[in-house]
Amino acid sequence: MSRVRGRRVWQGLRYAFCAVMLILILLPLAWTVFLSLRNNVDLMRQAPLSLFGPYTLGNYGELLKNRTLFRWFFNSMVVSGFSVAGVLALSSLAGYAFGRLHFPFRNWLYAFVLMGLAIPDQSVILTRHHIFSTLHWHNTYLALILPGLSAPLGVFLMTETFRAIPKGMEDAARLDRASPFMIFWKVLLPQTVPAQASLGIYTFLLSWNDYWWPLISATRPDMFTLTEGMAAAQTNYAEVTGMGVLMAEAVLAGLPVLIIYIAFQKHIVSAITGMVKL
Amino acid sequence: MKRLLFLLALLMLGSCEKPDTRPTITVQRIFGDCRAHVPKGKPATANPNGECEIITGLLDRFEAENPDIRLKIITVAWPGYDQLSAQFAADDAPDLVTMHMAVIPDYKSHHLLMPLMEGLEAQGITPDQFTPVARRAVSMDGDIYGLPFDSWTQLFHINMNLFAKAGLVKDGKPILPRNAGELLVQARQFRERTGKPYFVQSMVNERAAYARNLYTYLLAQDEVIFPDPNHIRLNTPRAREIVGLFKRIYDENMTTRDQDYGTATAAFVNGQGGVYIVGTWMIGAFDAEAATPGRPLYKGYTVVPYPVLFGDRPAAFVDGHAWVMPVKRRTPEQTQAVMRLLKFLSIHEADWTRSGHLSSMQAVITDPAYQAQPHRRDLMAITSYGQGLPIDVQRQFAIQDMLSEELAAAITGAKPADQALHDAETRINDMLTNLS
Repeated sequence: MSRVRGRRVWQGLRYAFCAVMLILILLPLAWTVFLSLRNNVDLMRQAPLSLFGPYTLGNYGELLKNRTLFRWFFNSMVVSGFSVAGVLALSSLAGYAFGRLHFPFRNWLYAFVLMGLAIPDQSVILTRHHIFSTLHWHNTYLALILPGLSAPLGVFLMTETFRAIPKGMEDAARLDRASPFMIFWKVLLPQTVPAQASLGIYTFLLSWNDYWWPLISATRPDMFTLTEGMAAAQTNYAEVTGMGVLMAEAVLAGLPVLIIYIAFQKHIVSAITGMVKL
Repeated sequence: MKRLLFLLALLMLGSCEKPDTRPTITVQRIFGDCRAHVPKGKPATANPNGECEIITGLLDRFEAENPDIRLKIITVAWPGYDQLSAQFAADDAPDLVTMHMAVIPDYKSHHLLMPLMEGLEAQGITPDQFTPVARRAVSMDGDIYGLPFDSWTQLFHINMNLFAKAGLVKDGKPILPRNAGELLVQARQFRERTGKPYFVQSMVNERAAYARNLYTYLLAQDEVIFPDPNHIRLNTPRAREIVGLFKRIYDENMTTRDQDYGTATAAFVNGQGGVYIVGTWMIGAFDAEAATPGRPLYKGYTVVPYPVLFGDRPAAFVDGHAWVMPVKRRTPEQTQAVMRLLKFLSIHEADWTRSGHLSSMQAVITDPAYQAQPHRRDLMAITSYGQGLPIDVQRQFAIQDMLSEELAAAITGAKPADQALHDAETRINDMLTNLS
């Protein structure tokens, strides 16, 4: 009896802990939403109490009036979408090659790719900028997408994922005379969907939130991404006089990420569980 | 089929648009995007005295009055220098850019800015039309490298209602300290009578205010902050004395604590302290509060220059915005178009000062209409005695960042003042002596 009670108490504590953590995580998000629904003049006067009304949709109305905002949103979607597709394709192919195929200098090449993890973006930015200048590629989608396709972490993740797939499946396919590409495409790749989902989300977030590279590569307003455009549109001292609009922008900018999380949450959870096992 | 061909022919004719032969100039500016409430050709529907609203309206007006010139406007995130440097590297610089006067030496030293004296003189603009502080900031090597657009500085914004409660008002004017000792006495009196701190200060994530306070009171004592352009001198008795005063204010709870810029502004507006040290740009917002019944600042707001606490003369560290012309290939028509825009901006500088910034043009400063704006008469002297850092000192924004970090550590007690000033001096000198 006491063991049952002990288990219940333990379970209760676990739920309480989870509830506290949930509140801690949700509170800033909820606060952002509440701030976005408050009048700016009120916010200037009582920001700490902004959870309470009166509420207004005026800040979202302000956003809708900004026609260029939707252009920036579209640009961000294009850049993030192609970045995700490119990283998934390249990382999967590289991961399959490093994880399952045997070829000369494989380990050396793999180590060379992983060295990319140790090189900060900032250290190559000047050279990268110069290359794109020479090619006259600045202010193009190509310039915004290409640098993000080099993803050593993605190659590492996919290599380890391919390595973890039991060899028996591949052998069985080989007995059925499947080519290496067919084995990759039909047998192994479907096993990596959770890892791909996780890599896709990570890449999307990285690309969606990127600010610095678009800032210096896209100098034409019609090529701004959402992060860059929103920063450019922010009037001076907006954190004081336009807090509500800023928060509405934050909500808008966070929406696609939220939608993707909700859509792929099952895969993300299983991918993270898988990564822990790795 | 015939109909289809006819439609196609119409479409092709439609696409044969006459090419735009007007000279096109690219104007790159900060101050944000507010097109949503500044319809083209119409007055702003909200916040008409905001920086963004005024500059948007002015550029619209230039386009309307100069239909032979095509403007391409790029709005960039403050302060815009990462983007500008990248544009220079890509040989894609704009034709005209807003630049803080303190930053002009960085670009000028790399020969990236056009000298403007000749072009402006041809438009009837001469340096003697600028205020002394603005003229000093844009003059280098016998030429000028920017058209001054304003001057700004930090000020003492005062809640007169709380000052009255603290017994610090005489004849409708605030009683201000005449030295550091008096400041402490008045601040204690203020705390006793109102139960609130004398100062409201932004002290968290603050990259500038600390440095500007120190600069102001060092300049008041004619202290040589930069013995030469590559060396700063900070670890001096006078600097330690100034830092000591602000530390004492902090230690004795005579200032609000742990507030960032937004929170400190809200605290002042909500009557949580007597004096808020912040820039010229907040005057309009605080005046609006002072005109709103029921608000803590209602009929109780004024703004004054820093009182003389050290030395025996008023001083102010002043910076400002200027329009600069990057070096790039232009046709003579484009150069002429830029000059016409500069002339237009110079003529309409008075409109810009509605934002709260101080004028950088003598004619505006002495104009009764300018002086009739709230507080401007009390502040206009700053445009004469105000000073920036020496014009040959580069990386002034980076210096400000480093200095503010160290001063924050000293004032909040994370480091002894000596150590913080020594560290600031070392870090800044390391940077300045290793400039490319």
